[in-house]
Amino acid sequence: MNGDREIKVDYLARVEGEGAMYLKLRGDEVQDLKFKIFEPPRFFEALLRGRRFSEAPDITARICGICPIAYQMSSCNAMEAAAGVTVGGQLRQLRKLIYYGEWLESHALHIFFLHAPDYLGYDSAIEMADDFGYRVASGLRLKKLGNEIMTVLGGREIHPINVRVGGFYRVPTRGELDRLVDDLEWGLEEALETVEWVAGFSFPDFERDYEFVAMRHPGEYGILDGRIVSNRGLDIPPDQWPDHFEETHVEWSNALHAQRIGGGSYHVGPMARYSLNRAQLSTKALMAAHDAGLGRTCHNPFRSIIVRAVEMVHACESALEVIDGYTKPDRPSVPVAPVASTGHGVSEAPRGLLYHRYQIDDQGLIADAHIVPPTSQNQLSIEDDLRAYVPQHAHLDDERLQWELEQAIRNYDPCISCATHFLDLTVEREES
Amino acid sequence: MSRRVIGIGAEDRGDDAAGIEVARGLRNVDAVTCLGGPLDVIDLWEGWSDVVIVDAMKSGAEPGTVKRFDGLRDRLPTSSFVTTHALATGEAIELARVLDRLPPKLTVFGIEADNVDLGAPMSPEVKEAVKRVVAEIDHA
Repeated sequence: MNGDREIKVDYLARVEGEGAMYLKLRGDEVQDLKFKIFEPPRFFEALLRGRRFSEAPDITARICGICPIAYQMSSCNAMEAAAGVTVGGQLRQLRKLIYYGEWLESHALHIFFLHAPDYLGYDSAIEMADDFGYRVASGLRLKKLGNEIMTVLGGREIHPINVRVGGFYRVPTRGELDRLVDDLEWGLEEALETVEWVAGFSFPDFERDYEFVAMRHPGEYGILDGRIVSNRGLDIPPDQWPDHFEETHVEWSNALHAQRIGGGSYHVGPMARYSLNRAQLSTKALMAAHDAGLGRTCHNPFRSIIVRAVEMVHACESALEVIDGYTKPDRPSVPVAPVASTGHGVSEAPRGLLYHRYQIDDQGLIADAHIVPPTSQNQLSIEDDLRAYVPQHAHLDDERLQWELEQAIRNYDPCISCATHFLDLTVEREES
Repeated sequence: MSRRVIGIGAEDRGDDAAGIEVARGLRNVDAVTCLGGPLDVIDLWEGWSDVVIVDAMKSGAEPGTVKRFDGLRDRLPTSSFVTTHALATGEAIELARVLDRLPPKLTVFGIEADNVDLGAPMSPEVKEAVKRVVAEIDHA
């Protein structure tokens, strides 16, 4: 097909939230490509101004129904950094545990219900369930297990109410955590089987030379806190984020595009974490990755489904370790007195690095809030993937091309309810 | 027969909070909210025999219009329910049907939404509809 063409899709299926996309092609050349999203964080940033510093975890948890823990943890980290407080010991372990629950819940949703249908040729998980009922049921149970971990620690599974700056309002008893063990042992075996299953899918031969950005912690596969590192030499504490990343406004999206200052797009999420921190995966996760044929790094975004499954193994195995070593702390939180200062916090949301920054005044009120979700950071990388991917597939008819493009977008598990309001996809082809 | 009401929706998004407001307004029945994506209903109704789901919908009707479906008999419109999530309420119910995970009795109330923008207030018609649905469920 040599003419120019435009493909327009009004609703992009199987992504969290909605947004818009437009693609204009001349032959196999991309003339124009816009990934448009609307961005709730701007609304919540305004909502946060003037509220008490201690309210940030509960308010920001409302940004996303899929990853409320990530918002709570990044905001807690930022507030505790502003106050000069460190939360350690068993309280830190419990924070990791609730976060593993969220990774498990979010990854199970994406793998089984949103992404697997792409590889198996189904339009939806409903159709897939007809032939793969066992897998879909297993996905539901893994998702439920993640929810249960969040319920035990968070008080309720969605928008948990038990997380606070400094720790928790209430910590679980040993017995409450022990009741999760049998299910987690089942989950670990099921996650291992999932790695094997998804590793057997067919993957397009597509790789890009990404700058991977993720959080790194000296003692564990980064999830809760740490430094921000990249495969191109970046190694900074969270408070230097503004010195190395910038957000620019583009006229077609009311979400800001994050990029490296002077360096263009970068990639956050499971593939970045795996490629930067693979050696810190739990033993079984590392072995599963090896057996699945993942190398030391992964640059094929279509294989991210395998990395998510490996991270489910890691989450289950690490959660069991936390429970095994648990003793109930004497107090559920450490006191945090507000200090007039600016606090920066990062953590690894299921979809990648989540950065929060708050300016606190001497009354403990939030003077300014700034939130950069993973999907905002991946916007440019998604566009760069599509620019590289489209020429290989421009010969396809519009319907098939659209399918391929949607799958390429779904590789990022874009949480557009974090970063957007609605998505419609347009591809335009013009006669030359 | 154990009865549970599940209110689906999103806070901070105008009329999309209709299902949540119904669940919070009920006094005489077990009621929970579902804010993390409609797929969670399959877990939330497990063990309950008489389940009522309330969600906002956009079917083209007048805002505040209430439609009632029999979740076991009617095939729900998969695209009419408002969602910012990857799977809408209709799809979650269809998925449960395929997996044989539906409760013995399932009633679905759809409340026609007008504005579901972030930060929008709930429209007066939907507020009235919320009251009507609360009354209907509480006195059933």
